[in-house]
Order: sequence, then C-alpha cells, then structure tokens
Amino acid sequence: MLPAAAVRLEAAGCITGLGDTAATHAALLRGERALALSPVLGAEGGELVPLALGGGRNLDETAPPNWLPLVQRLAAAIPADEWGSPTRPVFVTSSNFGVGSLYAFRRGGDPGHLAYGTPSLCVEWLARQLGWGSTVTTLSHACVSAHLGLTLAARALHAGLAERALVFSFDFISPFVTGGFHALKILNAGFPAPYADRPTGSIGLGDGAGFAVLSRDRGEFTISAQSLYNEMHHFTANRADGAGFAACLGPVQAAASGRRLWLKGHGTGTLEAGRLESAALAAAFPEAPLVSWKGSLGHSLGSCGVVELALAVESIRTGRAPGTVGGVAPCFTPQVALESFSTAGHDGVVCTSNAFGGAHAAFLLTHA
Amino acid sequence: MPDPLKTKLKQLIVTTLKLEDVKAEDLSDDEPLIGSGLNLDSIDALELVVTLEKEYGIKIKSSEESRVALGSISHLAEFIRSRADPARLPG
Repeated sequence: MLPAAAVRLEAAGCITGLGDTAATHAALLRGERALALSPVLGAEGGELVPLALGGGRNLDETAPPNWLPLVQRLAAAIPADEWGSPTRPVFVTSSNFGVGSLYAFRRGGDPGHLAYGTPSLCVEWLARQLGWGSTVTTLSHACVSAHLGLTLAARALHAGLAERALVFSFDFISPFVTGGFHALKILNAGFPAPYADRPTGSIGLGDGAGFAVLSRDRGEFTISAQSLYNEMHHFTANRADGAGFAACLGPVQAAASGRRLWLKGHGTGTLEAGRLESAALAAAFPEAPLVSWKGSLGHSLGSCGVVELALAVESIRTGRAPGTVGGVAPCFTPQVALESFSTAGHDGVVCTSNAFGGAHAAFLLTHA
Repeated sequence: MPDPLKTKLKQLIVTTLKLEDVKAEDLSDDEPLIGSGLNLDSIDALELVVTLEKEYGIKIKSSEESRVALGSISHLAEFIRSRADPARLPG
C-alpha cells in the first residue's frame, strides 16, 4: 500500500490490563507485568498461560460483554465531538470483535450472545452504546488492524472526506482467542520475553483498547509516513529473509532521515518473528533503542497499534519511555532496551506492528 | 521388521492431512516432515500436533518443541515414546 500523507494527532488514549494510559505508562516504568498465569479456557480450566485482563474482568463471556465498562471508561476520554457524523467519521478496528460471544453461543446455546457475535453486529452495538452516528467504518486486518484504521483515517482527511477522524481499536480476549493461540503452541506456560534469544518462545495475550483523534492541521504530534506492506508469501509465515519487514520500513526510514529516533517494536515474544523484526529495525535504524511492551501487557492483537501509540505519546510527554519489560539478555540485537530511558534528545519514535500472513505496518510519530 | 509406531504415524499423517497421491509406505523415516517434498505447512503441523496429542495423550508445549518433534518420522516416534503411556503405543 502506498504510504499515507502526514496527519496530525490531536489526542490518544488507551486502556490495558494495567489501567488507563497514565497508569499503564507509570506501571511499565516501574517494570510491572500485567500478565498473570491464568487457565487458558477460563472457567473450563486448562493449562496456565500468561493473560492480562482489564479492570478485574473475567475471561468467560457474558451477554452483554463484560468489557463494555472498560470501553465506556476509555470513550469518556475521547474529546467530545459529533463522532460518526459525515465530517467526523469513526474507523473501528479489531482483530476479534465479538467472536467470543459467537463461541459462547456455540457452546452454551444462549441466543443472548448472538447480538455481539459478528463484527458488524458488535460495532453497531458499540456505536449505540457510545453515541456515535452512522458514519462508522469497520476494518480488520489481524494484528495490523489499528494501523490500517490510522492510514485510512489519514486518507479520508487528506481527500477532504473528513475534518476530524476518530480511530477506535479494541480487542478483548476470550476463551476462543486464548484457546486458538494455545493450539498454535505459542501461548504456553512461559512468560513472553520479547527479542530474547532463548530456546523457546512464548507470547502473552492481553486486553487492549485505544483511540486516536486525527486531523489535518491541529494537534501536538504528527503521524507521518505511515506504511503498510503485505508479503503475500504464505498465509501464516513471513519470508525467511525478512524482506517483508524491510519493505515496510522503507518509506518510514526515508521520512525519518536525519532524526534521532527510538523504536517501539511489535515484539510479541515469538522467536522467529522477533529475530526478523529486530534485525530489520537494526538495519534500518542502527542507532535507535528498541522496546516492546508486550512482555508486560501481553499482545492486544488488532488494537495494539493504537494502544501502543497512546503509550508512545505518553512517553514523549513525560520524557521517559518504558523499557522492554520481561525481556532478558541475550537479545537478538544489542539495541534492545531492557530498561526505561529518557526520550529527551530524541525527535521521533517509529512504531511497528506485524501480523499473521506477513502483514507489516509502521509509522513515524514526531512533535508537530 | 518395520517399527509399528513409525508405520502407525505414517498412516496417521496421510489420513489426518488427507494427503492425495501419497501412500503411507512411501514416507521416509528420516525426511523432514515440514518443508520437504510433502509440502506440509504450519497449518498442517498444527492439525498433526492436535491429532497426536489426542491419539497418544501427550503434550507438546511450544512451537519449538513441535518443530523438533516433527523433524522426521524417526524424531516423532522417539518423541512419542519418551512421552506417551506405553500402553497407548502399538505393538
């Protein structure tokens, strides 16, 4: 996909297993881990795996979904506007939407779950709960979903189709999701250690939701040179030479020339993708410290791009970026920052996400 | 005399993955299962692992362990023998 033109970021926020943006950022700086070993199938038990649930929420499905209060709390932080009106479109992104509800219906037969079980029904319900109008676009592209929302929102703004755009991303884990990753053997009893060169990889899964308000010319920050790239190589695997990662970073690298950067990587804790991603980032930005926060928060799937954008903004505002919580030496590259560091002296952060099937996304965030 | 576990594993692979034009007896003991002439991919590996866990009551804990176990029919047989209840093994 061609890179999107630069766009201003007016506001961003998130909610994670550690709380809201400020609470999450502060806890990450303290090196706290939201992930805790929990039964992979909730009330049905199973192996203990690292999960991070928001606000004391239970993994098991309810009707309506028990994550609604978390979404409502997050939505209260969105600057008030006529969201969902023709000039204030909303781009909703998720990887799983309400698929847990569909699985709950499949298992228990309670038709009450069906009202949230498909992406369209789930988003329509969410829009009603949050008071949005009908100009709501639903997008999904696995774990780069949030980046796709940011890119399309930027394009709508530059095409004159919107004056202000809201990107809203959410993914709340459920037994369907945890069971699926567990079957893949990448969600196991080990805590994730992003970018660690060790014999066995593992990820954690976490709740996450976030928002970003974009406009053409207002806001303290700029998101520039957004890039999306799909390898079209294999429906689960990346090319072994890492060419897909490098191809995605190319446009961002060009836009970042001359800047002193830090890097917020995807870094889930899997070995193969972690090795490829860190090598590509090290080649493109050899001096920049690299962090991932999924060793604490878990992977919030399709929402991670916006969740981590909000945390990157908070890092710049407060002058300190959390390190790679849960990471351990030796790492795939010496650039991996295990400890927190000052963002002073840096004039931009490159944020990346990657997804199943060789989908890659990146953008550069700077002060306006 | 053929190893009955290896013979059983070859049959399981052909039937579980619905391999067309491949006979169990054609599978080599030592050829890599993934990334070889069989053209198996990660989804096939997942399907195979789930079947093996059910069939032999074993647990494959990580994708790295799965990769080692699926190194070849011989690797797989060795892995299963080291983990499974002997009563569940053929012959």
